[in-house]
Amino acid sequence: MGTLRRLIRHRLALFGAFVVLIFAVFAIFAPYIAPHDPYRFSLAKKLQPPSSLHPLGTDELGRDLLSRIIYGTRVSLMMALISVAIGLVVGVPIGALSGFYGGVFDLLVQRGVDILLAFPGILLAIVVVAILGPGLWNAMLAVGISFIPTYVRVVRGSVLELREKEFVEAARALGTGSLAIIGRHILPNCLAPIIVLSTLQLASAILWASGLGFLGLGAQPPTPEWGTMLGRSQVYIRAAPHVAIFPGLAIALAVLGFNLLGDGLRDALDPRLKGRF
Amino acid sequence: MKRSGLWLVLGVLVLALSAVAQGPKVGGELVIAFGTDPESLDPNKITSAPAGMVLTHIAETLLTMTEELEVAPLLAESWEFSEDGLSLTLYLRKGVKFHDGTPFNAEAVKVNLERFRKATYAFLLFPRVQTIEVVDEYTVRLNLDKPFAPLVAHLTHNFVAMVSPKQIAELPEGQEIMAPVGTGPFKFDKWVRGEYVRIVRNDEYWGPKPYVDAVVFRVVPSDATRLVLLETGQVHAIMRVPPMDAPRVAATPGLEVVRVPSVRTIYIAFNYQKAPWTDVRVRQALNYAVDKEAIVKEILGGAGGVSDAPIMPLIFGYAPQKPYPYDPEKARKLLDEAGIPRGFKCTLYHPTGRYMMDAAIAEAVQAYLREVGIEAELITMEWAAYLAFLRKPVEEATFDMFMLGWGCVTLDADYGLFPLFHTSEWAPKGSNRSFYSNPVVDALLEQGRVTPDPEARKAIYAEAIRVLWEDAGWLFLHYEVQINAQSTKVKGLIHHPREYILAHRAWLE
Amino acid sequence: MLSYLVRRLLVAIPTLLGVTFIVFSIVRVLPGDPAQAMAGVHATQEYIEQVRKELGLDLPMHVQYARFLGGLLRGDLGRSLRTGLPVAEEVWTRFIPTLELTAASLFLTLILGITVGILSATKPYSLYDHASMFLSLAGLSMPVFWLGLMLMLLFSVRLGWFPAAGRGGLRHLVLPSVTLAASSVALVARFTRSTLLEVLRQEYITTARAKGVRESRAIFVHALRNALIPIVTIVGLRFGALLSGAVLTETVFAWPGVGRLVVDSVSARDYPVIQGAVLVIAACFVFINIAVDLLYGVINPRIRYD
Repeated sequence: MGTLRRLIRHRLALFGAFVVLIFAVFAIFAPYIAPHDPYRFSLAKKLQPPSSLHPLGTDELGRDLLSRIIYGTRVSLMMALISVAIGLVVGVPIGALSGFYGGVFDLLVQRGVDILLAFPGILLAIVVVAILGPGLWNAMLAVGISFIPTYVRVVRGSVLELREKEFVEAARALGTGSLAIIGRHILPNCLAPIIVLSTLQLASAILWASGLGFLGLGAQPPTPEWGTMLGRSQVYIRAAPHVAIFPGLAIALAVLGFNLLGDGLRDALDPRLKGRF
Repeated sequence: MKRSGLWLVLGVLVLALSAVAQGPKVGGELVIAFGTDPESLDPNKITSAPAGMVLTHIAETLLTMTEELEVAPLLAESWEFSEDGLSLTLYLRKGVKFHDGTPFNAEAVKVNLERFRKATYAFLLFPRVQTIEVVDEYTVRLNLDKPFAPLVAHLTHNFVAMVSPKQIAELPEGQEIMAPVGTGPFKFDKWVRGEYVRIVRNDEYWGPKPYVDAVVFRVVPSDATRLVLLETGQVHAIMRVPPMDAPRVAATPGLEVVRVPSVRTIYIAFNYQKAPWTDVRVRQALNYAVDKEAIVKEILGGAGGVSDAPIMPLIFGYAPQKPYPYDPEKARKLLDEAGIPRGFKCTLYHPTGRYMMDAAIAEAVQAYLREVGIEAELITMEWAAYLAFLRKPVEEATFDMFMLGWGCVTLDADYGLFPLFHTSEWAPKGSNRSFYSNPVVDALLEQGRVTPDPEARKAIYAEAIRVLWEDAGWLFLHYEVQINAQSTKVKGLIHHPREYILAHRAWLE
Repeated sequence: MLSYLVRRLLVAIPTLLGVTFIVFSIVRVLPGDPAQAMAGVHATQEYIEQVRKELGLDLPMHVQYARFLGGLLRGDLGRSLRTGLPVAEEVWTRFIPTLELTAASLFLTLILGITVGILSATKPYSLYDHASMFLSLAGLSMPVFWLGLMLMLLFSVRLGWFPAAGRGGLRHLVLPSVTLAASSVALVARFTRSTLLEVLRQEYITTARAKGVRESRAIFVHALRNALIPIVTIVGLRFGALLSGAVLTETVFAWPGVGRLVVDSVSARDYPVIQGAVLVIAACFVFINIAVDLLYGVINPRIRYD
């Protein structure tokens, strides 16, 4: 029974990887795949339903929706990668140092994490955008900052476990410096949770970045970002529902792909991580 | 004889009863939904049409503008200019009281007009009006230093509203009136900012009393939500139906769409004092770059007309010019001549939810500009913040372009041009937020004010408009046609070209 | 137990202080003049200086922070730049609708999520199981604002069963709460299923060996009771996600709640309200988390926190 389950999950994970790959291809090869210029507009052609010329129809300025969604992949993936990178680059070292040294620094870091996590979900990102102002880059920074606490917690947890292991004792006995121990011995063993977390965070990043776009706080027109497109579409929902349906579908698929992939990686790399996040 | 007499009486009774049954019913609370919360209900601080709509039910003006756009008496029964045009005498209506019981008379008018000297819209009367004379209890004379042709039209402006002198006297220093006490058919009841204003029938009104007991003006910023409220019967009338929804609403039983021309012109102004907008070629180029006909046809669904002057056709003094045709190549050529590189960045500020499809139009303009190599960044703000942002002095103004509208409610070219283009009206004092300055235009507009002969005035304004047009003072867009909608259960509602829905004679079935 | 509560509350204090500090710095970290931001875009130079004095923006930071905290304790969160009303009042009037929405969603999460999870666990690997688990996965991945729009499109625009926007009777609550609950229902369904299966397996094996298969129903009920503990905890923990999702859901359905207040005031640059609303939401969240922790301790007697 257990094997069967793992197999199904394995298939789902493969499906997830496949979806992610498709989106990556869209992002990289957008100019070759998209049938039209995503900025080319014509008011006379506005809000047309799907047709042979425009497979997903046109938006409120007569731009081809399919092309905008394909180019939107670039925007969303870039936003996701940069946000996750920010979370990683800041969160991992802090988490590692905090877990390894403990003491007052650890206490402060823990409190800091608690404070940041006191802002539920997208709220922290909204606060950051309220300070910096709306826009693509500010939104990325905002989402990235909201990821930092999770990375800190996860890495800290891993480091706490590994700190007591024998190979660490051995390295210490050999006189290796603490930083070297962290860098060469501990962090590489944290790789599994970091990879899984990052994949799942990519999914969240797409959700939150598009959420900010939807609220008008993220990418601004005319940039083809799925969330921003969805935000603009609400007014036309009766007359032209396709403008609302397809960008959201893109978000859902991308997030699904990363979630499935992340789940699969978690099972494959270390099923123990299941309870963690 | 007696029996036929009885039948006659019965017959008359039946006839009378049926007439009454079909006539206006008294009672009920009328709910009208509109898009922006009034920024103020104080005549001295009020600046926008939605606020004016609410105020006009409560506080009346000396003269009014009918739906047919003619000046008519209101609190002043008649008026006459002196021979030399230097004074205007107003004969006031007798027996009118303010809602707090204070009598309306010449003294009250004087108190109000003196107070109006400090109003945001003081320019409507001052400094041309030098003194206000109380001739007798019901006669007021306004003395001018020079003939002021638009004066009568300006007295119909809803902002020049009469409130109780007692309220003025008791108002603490530096505060504004939050609950105006006027002479109008309705009395102020309650104002929950951002939500609604409620007014109730004035049973002591000097004129025909309203039928409805109360009117609630509900603030609903989202066009879509307003429409839903109408469709679900939660409100009786709404302003501004999105053009693409209008056919569907018209076809809905129980609802009707009302189309009314509006006196409002929508435009995009340049920061006239900031490079490169100082170069006429650049301004003209942008006028060629945008396809205004497509905007009116596609985005507004035909509810509007492409501007061929800074004022719309119904305004006295209107003189049509040749519209800038959609010619992106010519635009690019002019930009090249002026040395504007491709990819030039600038900012375009616009409101969202104040004017018909304002955000969509701004996006379209952005797209058109992009085609000719201008990268405009769209920045939007909530209405009150937007207005205030534009009230900065020229040294602090950082914007490149902004979208705004101007409703020429006096139907006179002076009001449509002077506040927006004259050098003396630069922000933050006046409404010339683009810091436009042109001595030729200044001279013409000043002349137009003091010339009494209408034909001569028309010629002056025609010239002023011609200069403004060729100077590409604005990125001219269009004038609006209002699309309102109401339930068929409401009768007698007036949809006015000044962008007001008036409930004075409305009743609910 | 009591000592745990005390300890938990004590730990919450620095967290809350930290939250107030972050909220406090929102305005002071802005590019530009904080007095201008707090006075409003309308303001004249005089008024800006007046606000600067009132809020003590020219005083040293720690003094400002102390005054800010003082104001908080008195319930003074300043005044909205848009409406002039006290922020506390603005936030409070919006608080109830958000509570209503969140409670309804929580209710749906409990009922639907646990039911679906149980049904799945009783028929593992069946068509129903696969279908509901896949749907849950989809539900987790769908952006809440898109789901809201799609539900609005189908049930309001096309079918006309429910109103598309605003708050009113029960009918107005349906679409927003279903939208908000979706991802939580999905998560709880999956979690219920896996936890129940785990517990069932253990119980079933142990008891089956000892007593015989006939007791399956009793075993099931017993298993359920054991599984309920982590399940209820998860539901409690979802509160944060519900608050976060509420911001987006309220915007889609024009629901007059605190979430929408935050978004509207960011757009209006109404900083006092941004501060107040964010603070209230975060503080709520902190207290709910404490409550959930305690609840967990109460229903799970195996865990002692002393």
